Amino acid sequence: MKRSHIIALVVIAVAMAMLIGTLADNSTFMGLAQAMENPGREVRVKGMLDKSQPIVYEPVANANLTEFTLVDDDGVKCKVRLAKAKPYDFERSESIVLTGSYEGTAFHANDMLMKCPSKYTEGNKLQTDGEWTKVK
Amino acid sequence: MKDKDIVFAGEHTWASYVGHGFAVISIVGAALALVSFFLAERKGSVQWRSLGRVGFRAHSVAVFSIVALLFIMLLNHWFEFDYVWKHSNREMPLRYIFSCFWEGQEGSFLLWTFWHAVLGNILLWRWKQGRHSEWEAPVMMVFALVQVFLASMLLGVHVFGERVGSSPFLLIRQLPENLGLPWTGLADYLQKIPAFQDGRGLNPLLQNYWMVIHPPTLFLGFSATLIPFAYAIAGLWRNKLKEWMEPAIGWTFFGVMILGTGILMGGAWAYEALSFGGFWAWDPVENASLVPWLTLVASGHLMMVNKRKDTSLFTGFLLTLGTFLLVLYSGFLTRSGVLGDTSVHSFTGDGMKPGLMLFVLTFMLLTAVMLVRDTGQRKFLGLLSLALLVLGIVLKVQALAVLVFAVLFVIALFWAYRKFPKAAQEEAVWSREFWLFIGALVLVLSAVQITFSTSVPVFNTLLSPFAKPLSWLAETTGSSFIADLSHAKLAPPSDAKAHYNKWQVPFAFIIALLVGIGQYLRWKETDMKRFGKQMLLSLVVAVVATAVVVFSMEYEWKELNLIALLFAAVFAAVANAAWIWKGLKWKFAHAGPSIAHVGFALVLLGALISTSKQEDVSRNTGRMVLSFLSKDFDDNTDALLYRGDTVRMGEHFVVYKGKRQEGVNLFFDVEYLEAVPRVYHVGDTVRVNNSLYVCTTEHLAVDHFLADPANWRASQDFTRRQQWHAEPYASKAPGKSLFGLAPLVQINPKFGNVAEPSTKHWLHRDLYTHIRFAELQLGANEATDSLQWMPPRHYGRNVGDTLVTPTSVAIIDSVRSVRDSMTMKLLGPEFDVKVAYLRIRDLYDEGRWFEARPLLIFRGGMAVAGKGAELEPLRVRFDLERVGPGEPMEGEDPAAAEGDIGLSVSDREFIVMQAIVFPGINILWIGCALMFLGTLVAVRQRWKRKPSKA
Repeated sequence: MKRSHIIALVVIAVAMAMLIGTLADNSTFMGLAQAMENPGREVRVKGMLDKSQPIVYEPVANANLTEFTLVDDDGVKCKVRLAKAKPYDFERSESIVLTGSYEGTAFHANDMLMKCPSKYTEGNKLQTDGEWTKVK
Repeated sequence: MKDKDIVFAGEHTWASYVGHGFAVISIVGAALALVSFFLAERKGSVQWRSLGRVGFRAHSVAVFSIVALLFIMLLNHWFEFDYVWKHSNREMPLRYIFSCFWEGQEGSFLLWTFWHAVLGNILLWRWKQGRHSEWEAPVMMVFALVQVFLASMLLGVHVFGERVGSSPFLLIRQLPENLGLPWTGLADYLQKIPAFQDGRGLNPLLQNYWMVIHPPTLFLGFSATLIPFAYAIAGLWRNKLKEWMEPAIGWTFFGVMILGTGILMGGAWAYEALSFGGFWAWDPVENASLVPWLTLVASGHLMMVNKRKDTSLFTGFLLTLGTFLLVLYSGFLTRSGVLGDTSVHSFTGDGMKPGLMLFVLTFMLLTAVMLVRDTGQRKFLGLLSLALLVLGIVLKVQALAVLVFAVLFVIALFWAYRKFPKAAQEEAVWSREFWLFIGALVLVLSAVQITFSTSVPVFNTLLSPFAKPLSWLAETTGSSFIADLSHAKLAPPSDAKAHYNKWQVPFAFIIALLVGIGQYLRWKETDMKRFGKQMLLSLVVAVVATAVVVFSMEYEWKELNLIALLFAAVFAAVANAAWIWKGLKWKFAHAGPSIAHVGFALVLLGALISTSKQEDVSRNTGRMVLSFLSKDFDDNTDALLYRGDTVRMGEHFVVYKGKRQEGVNLFFDVEYLEAVPRVYHVGDTVRVNNSLYVCTTEHLAVDHFLADPANWRASQDFTRRQQWHAEPYASKAPGKSLFGLAPLVQINPKFGNVAEPSTKHWLHRDLYTHIRFAELQLGANEATDSLQWMPPRHYGRNVGDTLVTPTSVAIIDSVRSVRDSMTMKLLGPEFDVKVAYLRIRDLYDEGRWFEARPLLIFRGGMAVAGKGAELEPLRVRFDLERVGPGEPMEGEDPAAAEGDIGLSVSDREFIVMQAIVFPGINILWIGCALMFLGTLVAVRQRWKRKPSKA
């Protein structure tokens, strides 16, 4: 066997291991309903902040806990405990992605991505009265 | 359309026409250059070549004019233009005009196009000097092809109903969503409509000086990868498989230098302006720039081998060509919107996806076709892929077409490899070329791993047409993994840092070792005895230094991978520094590679130490323990600092002093005090678990109370007040003030408020702090009053009720009028004083009770003044707001109007702040500077050198 073949084999082996390792590390996007069926499994959930429910952030009790309600893309609602301080302009967010798992009574999120309308998209529209309003 | 006849007052309509005109000239010029250089190459004709130059110059002039025009528009605040309105405003400091320029999709494409035009002209000028000028036609042909694509991205015209590109010269009234709206018919709409008086402004995150220099540097780096790519294509075209490397290699390392600097500048920006706490987060956008750098480095090093011999020639080509393809792919990832939910700072799609995809696929096709040496196979492959492309576009089955295309690409590479010239014999194991090749392979594996993990959203897109067969497969096999695949719902690893580090640390370890030995190895064959002798010193120094760091910074044995990388990085730095001394005898002009390698090793070392030993010095001081809720929740970040309190944080004491506003920035002043040994005096009391202890002898405090029993006696009789006011035992006391930091929140109603960190830099470490949460309203006497309060919570209750605040439970025992003679005499008979008798329990400590008596003074039935009751231990104040039935107030919780007693509860003002210590981060920045300098010296040396005869 030539040395170049050995190297090629090693490279292929490492590449395969990486591929499998990466897939094993990947988490999955899920709806809330599915996340509730798999309590304890780490998943990603995409949805929106339910603005009709209160956002509870009481730093004097704990500065690293924010509680709110998420509505996922299928319309399922769930209470969320986020182990982070409440982000600036959370109320303005239009879309959020949570990483965490469902634990009995609530979705426990360790991480959150948040998109605010004016920050990341350009959905502003000019109206005749000169006021700018946001369109989703 | 009617608006052609209207003369719009104050509108710079001409700029729109001129801009579009230049855009057309730029694409026509590039197309002319493409055709002319192609014919020049085919026919060897000088006339065609001259025409090609004319075309490229026209294209360049048009591009430069577009750049100039866009700057003029931004500088003069012509808000009738969509791009100007969206990305700038009048308030912004002038220097950020640059950031505005490249904030948007169009501007960043323009920047990319601009650098290609600049580099193309530099090449033309250098060829005119006579060196390597034989490569002009084929290289410029590739340049022109790229420019045709890029110029089309700026056109913003509709072809067959599909929008091609997006123009920065579009007027707001011309936006598709505004067409036909009544105001677009007003000749004086610019004056009448207030929104046009000022633009939306720049995203505050980008208002940072790094954002002025980081994007152009990064894009110059990206653009530089086109030169080796074009040379490689030219080499394949002419079947001169090695000659192209001589002129390309200098440019390759130029690209390594600029791209590397650009990437680290992005890190510096993230570290200084963003609040994720670090310089690197393995974000897809960051990865997309790192991957081409890795392959560019690999390709540059392989060129040094390939110039001499045929070994790994194919790999060398693949890397050079692949680097540019990866640059295109990274452009696709960050600009097409495909990353969507996985990155916070990617661009939205804006309908660029098909165009970008076509761009990437075209160059993949070019690469594959050029690499295949057999003419028949080449034609077959080219036509088949072309057909697929067209089919994919026409039938709009993108995912399927792309997948088949990718398979074809791999087959093509396989064919190409079989027909490629190979070395007659294998190189010696202990030769420089062999280990350079191994190094390149490891870099490629590293790049593949990053690309693979970053591309998860792309896989979802590609897998979506196969949902049905996959879900069938999932059902038959019962595999939940395949079921996930079938839903096309793969998400990137949730702990990105852990995931990438797991793979990248071992890769970096091998690379660092190779960087260390590389220059000591000889081409062809190394005398191993000599080699061993030469390496010995560096090895010993590295082992000793690593041991010192491991013990002093307390690395644990389970972090063996980090320790190994630490050793390798130190070894690489030492060995290369030693080479400058031993191998080069301080000949600075030749030391470029060694200096750059020392720099690279230091970057690794700094990144490793600062991230693995970063320490959250801010502790979560919240009363509620998070880990009760979930084992995954971490309690150790984000301290709550009450204004005026002096609390221990890391090795300092900190005091939050207050906030001040300067322009749009709200600064939070935090003072850092020295922590000095604490002296306890006779009679001092400390609280230990609800008991009080009194100091019996003057002494210096030790680490824990339990280690200090002799100097204290338990106090038997103490009042509750004494008990709750006594401080816990502490080994240190605040000393003199050392420095202040002022992390800030930028108030920006349009984009949302943004926190910016404030960092204290020392030589050996940084203290990085930023505000997580704060009250953004300034208090009435903000500057003078050391006690400010957070906005109150209002409660409506009756006597006997309880109210629960976040930290306490309060019971309203009674509300009484005070009618004692003293009060009557003091205030007069027309006044009535009501006092609420409250009993308050600490919510998190059942044995801890307080009393509070807020009062409210009435005159003729109207409340005129009040005095709240402050509970210092809880940092809370109770106010009596109302006695008697309440009325709901607008904007307040209606529950606050219930009952006969209105109470409000306020917390002392506080901020929530995160503080992280990054040790050794300066090693990283020094490494970055050395890498830049070293590569600069090396590139300069290469460009000065006479063309080699070999």
